[in-house]
Amino acid sequence: MIHHHPGEDLLLAYAAGAADEALSLIVSTHMSYCAICRLRGKKLDSLGGALLQELPPAPLGEGALDNVLARLDAVAPYERPIRVASRDGTPAPLRAYIGGDLSTVRWRKMGPRLSYAPLFKRGNVTAGLIKGVPGADSGVHSHHGSEFTVVLQGGFTDVTGNYGPGDLQMMEDGMSHNVVADPGEDCINLAVTTGPLKFESLLQRIAAPLFGF
Amino acid sequence: MLAHALRPSFSVFRPGPRRSAVVLRLPMKPEVLEMNALLGRVASERDRTAFAALFSHFAPRVKAYLLRQGAPASVAEDLAQEALLSLWRKAHLFDPAKASVGTWLFTIARNLRIDAIRREKRPELDPEDFMPDSAPAADEGLVQADDESRLRQALKDLPADQIQVVELSFFADKAHSQIATELGIPLGTVKSRLRLAMSRLKRALGDAE
Repeated sequence: MIHHHPGEDLLLAYAAGAADEALSLIVSTHMSYCAICRLRGKKLDSLGGALLQELPPAPLGEGALDNVLARLDAVAPYERPIRVASRDGTPAPLRAYIGGDLSTVRWRKMGPRLSYAPLFKRGNVTAGLIKGVPGADSGVHSHHGSEFTVVLQGGFTDVTGNYGPGDLQMMEDGMSHNVVADPGEDCINLAVTTGPLKFESLLQRIAAPLFGF
Repeated sequence: MLAHALRPSFSVFRPGPRRSAVVLRLPMKPEVLEMNALLGRVASERDRTAFAALFSHFAPRVKAYLLRQGAPASVAEDLAQEALLSLWRKAHLFDPAKASVGTWLFTIARNLRIDAIRREKRPELDPEDFMPDSAPAADEGLVQADDESRLRQALKDLPADQIQVVELSFFADKAHSQIATELGIPLGTVKSRLRLAMSRLKRALGDAE
């Protein structure tokens, strides 16, 4: 059961194609779990279709139709890519970035109870996976920029509530929290940050850049 | 350009209690039916006349959309042609029960733009591969092609200042704060106009607030 959803503006940014790749990965990963947001997303796509239809047409160059007609025979009908059947609990949009499923992730130890696996970095925006054993805590930290998290396995709790698989958390610039992994199985999260994290503890402050935060 | 989407405070969504699924079945507009029929002929008979009719209707609108997004004219021209070629290639995958031709082309053009102009991928849902225990909403999959014609009518009924912020948020790839600066109105006004517009549009789809 999903309790934490993206707001209308985040979903709109995804539907409009304005959200960047990392944020789109957050939204599409959440949607893989959440039927409610899939439906919300489809409606926003319909709004895109309606707006497109209402735009004043911009005429194409002369010969555009002939040009395309001449190319029709050369294009092969599209075939859906053959999927690697994986039902181990890895959302489809994420699999392409991991290059497999969650069991194939190569973790880097960040301490006795936390591990990290970077996915990609674009400018200031970083996407990666974080794993904590039950009871592990992140240390109190705040953010330069925002942090978006989707739980993939297990769960965590902080001052803002409890988060389980599929739940999406959004921490704004300047908000501070300490994330503690719930009892049970390891907690694995997809995390996107738009700026470096600010840790309160000196040791973490020194260590954070080494791990790509 | 990208970071803007991250900067504004994103709101939180809390789904209301689900209402009983009374889905209004309005007849589809003739235009929507006509476009569906044309695409059906492209899919089943590789009918070039039908394709040409779809091209004439949609290519200039796709080009207009790309120009709105800030694509240079030559790029908008090329991508509009690519979008329609894509429609030819993928016609057999089109399902009129899931979306209208206009909505489908919007998603194709949106993704082409991200690919070609931003040189990024857009992580996509795989419609056949959701997480096993994500219970479908009662009305999932019932977004009708007809939604689009109802939305188009609702858009026509919106006050001009609301249409403006919806269009800018959707098409101009701009943060709400940029929109506020451009229109010379406070950020709060942009947000409240957008909220008003979205709630009206949702009502048009028969959604409760």
